[in-house]
Amino acid sequence: MPLIKKWIEIFGVIDFISIGMLLSVVAMSSAKRIESCLKAYVINSWLLALLMAAFAVYLSIPHLYIAAFFTIAGKCILIPYFLRKVIRELKVTREVEPYLSMPVSLIISFALVVLVYSFLAEGIFVAGVARNVLKISVSIILISLFTMMNRKKAVTQVMGLLFMENGLFLAGFSLTYGMPTIIELGVLFDMMMGVMILGVFLTQIKKSFVSVDLDQLTSLKG
Amino acid sequence: MISLAFFICGAVFFAITPKKGLLHYLYLLYAAGAGLAAFSFARALYDLGSPGAAPTLAFALHISPALAVSFRGGPLQDFFGLLLSVAAFAASVYSSGYMKDNAAPRFQGIFYGLFILSMGAVFLSGDALSFLISWEAMSLVSYFLVISDTESEAAQNAGLTYATMTHIGTAFIIGAFMLAFAATGSLDFAGMAAGLAGKSMALKSAIFILSFIGFGMKAGIVPLHIWLPKAHPAAPSNVSALMSGVMIKAGVYGVMLMSLYVLGGPGAHYATWWGIVVLATGAASSVLGVLYALMEKDLKRLLAYSSVENVGIIFLGTGAALVFYSFGQTALAGLALAAALYHAMNHAMFKGLLFLGSGSVMHGVHSKNLEEMGGLLKRMPYTGLFFLMGSVSICALPPFNGFVSEWLTFQSLILGSVTPPAYSKVVTLLGGAALALTGALAAAAFVKAFGVAFLGMPRGPKAREAREAGFPMTASLGFLAAMCLILGVEPGLLLRLISAMPFAGLAQMGSAAPFHSPLTVAGGFSGFWPAAIFASMLTGLLAIIVLAGVFGRRRKITYADSWDCGIKALTPRMQYTATAFTKPLRVIFKTLYMPRKEVRISFKQKPLFVSGITYRSDITPFMENYLYKPLTAFVGKVALKIRHLQSGSLPLYLGYIMLTLIGLLLVWA
Repeated sequence: MPLIKKWIEIFGVIDFISIGMLLSVVAMSSAKRIESCLKAYVINSWLLALLMAAFAVYLSIPHLYIAAFFTIAGKCILIPYFLRKVIRELKVTREVEPYLSMPVSLIISFALVVLVYSFLAEGIFVAGVARNVLKISVSIILISLFTMMNRKKAVTQVMGLLFMENGLFLAGFSLTYGMPTIIELGVLFDMMMGVMILGVFLTQIKKSFVSVDLDQLTSLKG
Repeated sequence: MISLAFFICGAVFFAITPKKGLLHYLYLLYAAGAGLAAFSFARALYDLGSPGAAPTLAFALHISPALAVSFRGGPLQDFFGLLLSVAAFAASVYSSGYMKDNAAPRFQGIFYGLFILSMGAVFLSGDALSFLISWEAMSLVSYFLVISDTESEAAQNAGLTYATMTHIGTAFIIGAFMLAFAATGSLDFAGMAAGLAGKSMALKSAIFILSFIGFGMKAGIVPLHIWLPKAHPAAPSNVSALMSGVMIKAGVYGVMLMSLYVLGGPGAHYATWWGIVVLATGAASSVLGVLYALMEKDLKRLLAYSSVENVGIIFLGTGAALVFYSFGQTALAGLALAAALYHAMNHAMFKGLLFLGSGSVMHGVHSKNLEEMGGLLKRMPYTGLFFLMGSVSICALPPFNGFVSEWLTFQSLILGSVTPPAYSKVVTLLGGAALALTGALAAAAFVKAFGVAFLGMPRGPKAREAREAGFPMTASLGFLAAMCLILGVEPGLLLRLISAMPFAGLAQMGSAAPFHSPLTVAGGFSGFWPAAIFASMLTGLLAIIVLAGVFGRRRKITYADSWDCGIKALTPRMQYTATAFTKPLRVIFKTLYMPRKEVRISFKQKPLFVSGITYRSDITPFMENYLYKPLTAFVGKVALKIRHLQSGSLPLYLGYIMLTLIGLLLVWA
């Protein structure tokens, strides 16, 4: 165990994993097909679980193992499975139909990361292994918010929301080194419920508007 | 407590009594409750000086240590409670006749009872929370009563204006209470008063101004009065009487409570400008109120504008009291405050009387328009007599009550203008001048109202067929008229109750008017003897009758038509109309009224054969046109601009969130 701890420190494992998460978000924001988005989400969630495990080893906090396990169960297996089902049932086309083209989205994602890195560094100072994680997590949140804005299809909005939640989770435990297990479980459970409700909503929107294209929702305005 | 039970029974019976024809008798239950309450309030005030006196009502429900719903009687509370219950007694007796054939008797009956109850709750609330709850209940119930009478669009609009204005006012009141709570940590008025004693002047001033605007809205001070002449006439007359007679006093009560009790604990310092603000507002309200009352053709609107005027007079007294307190001249302040309280009580009596009287008139004529009345004194003698008594009281002529309170107000303002320091002299002098102008104009307004409605010839078929109102209605008018007379002849009765209040300087008022002897102020600075005036008037009248009987017996009496300049047939169209009567004043105050005239002539054959001429004359509503219209237009414009933000596009909404997040990041990171 001490050996693994040393490796984690020497090789900057925590930085690597969180950078991997950031990259997967960027990949999602510029992906062209819904399936790719979903795959990016699965990767992102696996990395999150891995990061938790790494923290658990490095800081010897056993309850983070439990959190990691539930992350794998929920975010890597159940939610993607459910989303795949919804996508199949809705029979949406595979293209994500963004408002902005892929290069522009990439540039904006890049700009957001630069913004966060240049401004957050002055305000909140985090020492220790997790020194970069907070910035990365805020970047993830902003990029996924931007992606939600940029997409026309309601399904991809849900994806953006899920990414954002991962970012929040990351921020949460990089600052606190693990919230109480009960809270982590609660958040996970909320997430599951959220996704299911959104699934129902999507089918309803599909029924009333014939498509899940959000442009149609403007007609609801009084 | 017993009277509370009567009210609840009344409301419940209104809900359950099956026969609609019997409903109006239930108002007598309310009357009984109000009568009992009046006795207990008067008793409590009378006993105040004596040791071991119990409060009229003490009730507290503790929700948490800091939060309690409490109702408590106290001197100021009991005084306004007395005012409410006497007016409510008369109005309830009146209603038992007036509401006989009404459109929605059940609904109006229940809400009428709730209205009186909620006003009582406002006066007796011991803490900010229960005060606000009762206040809102009072506003909402009265709103429903305003829109209950007719389904006309005008009434609905009046209700809407009223609801909007009153809620803006409530927002200000909540602001004042929250400031006080933040500073003292107590919602209880007594706790607030204790906590605010040592606080900074800026905080106190903020609380004062917020509460003055909020309560002033309800009291109908200029320029916050515009709802009043719309809403009061729209309600049924028994409710208008209570709204004008009592509900606007809730605003007065609020101002007095906040300024004298909460902000003015023992040894408190007042800023002089508070009093000056109140005094100036009072002067503006009284003059403008009566000026607009003069121009009204609608009897109830005239009365409503006159309420604005009378609230102005009450605030003249209150403001003068605050100014004197700020200079430590407690004796003068007590005089001014006593005048204000006296006038509040008087106004409840005579405005109640006049509104109820106008209800009787409408009952007979089926119109509110003065131009359709005329000659009613012959057809409705009792109503006419009592209405005349009310008019004389409101014009402040002896031997009625209006004279006493306006005389007291005058005395305090005049004494203020001979007592240093210099600039308070100027202010009180100007206030006195405004009051003098108001008095004269009010007399003109009520000569017009009474003369056009009751004297001369009927102006229309409706007026010709008018019949006297039923017994309960005239009886309650008679009761209020008697109250006006008693309060005018024996001011010591009420002054003794007022002097029991624990505000500095009021105690001297108890000895100002011993029974059956002159009323003097400031140690004999001036005085008059109301009972003697009444007695001499009565003797004079008797003497005339006796002399006429003695010397007139031998003369021959011939009955003939009035002289008609030889035209041979007098028609109602030859009389002064309400509009024509006030023409000279319209010319004098032209700059304020901005009268508009429109003559339209239609021809059969131009230019010689005229088929008809229509003439319209109107005054420009100054406040509405130059204050409220621009304001509403501005708000509407801004709202339209803001509406563009609400595009309905989800990505845009997400964009707002994102911009906010980035903004926060830039600001706080």
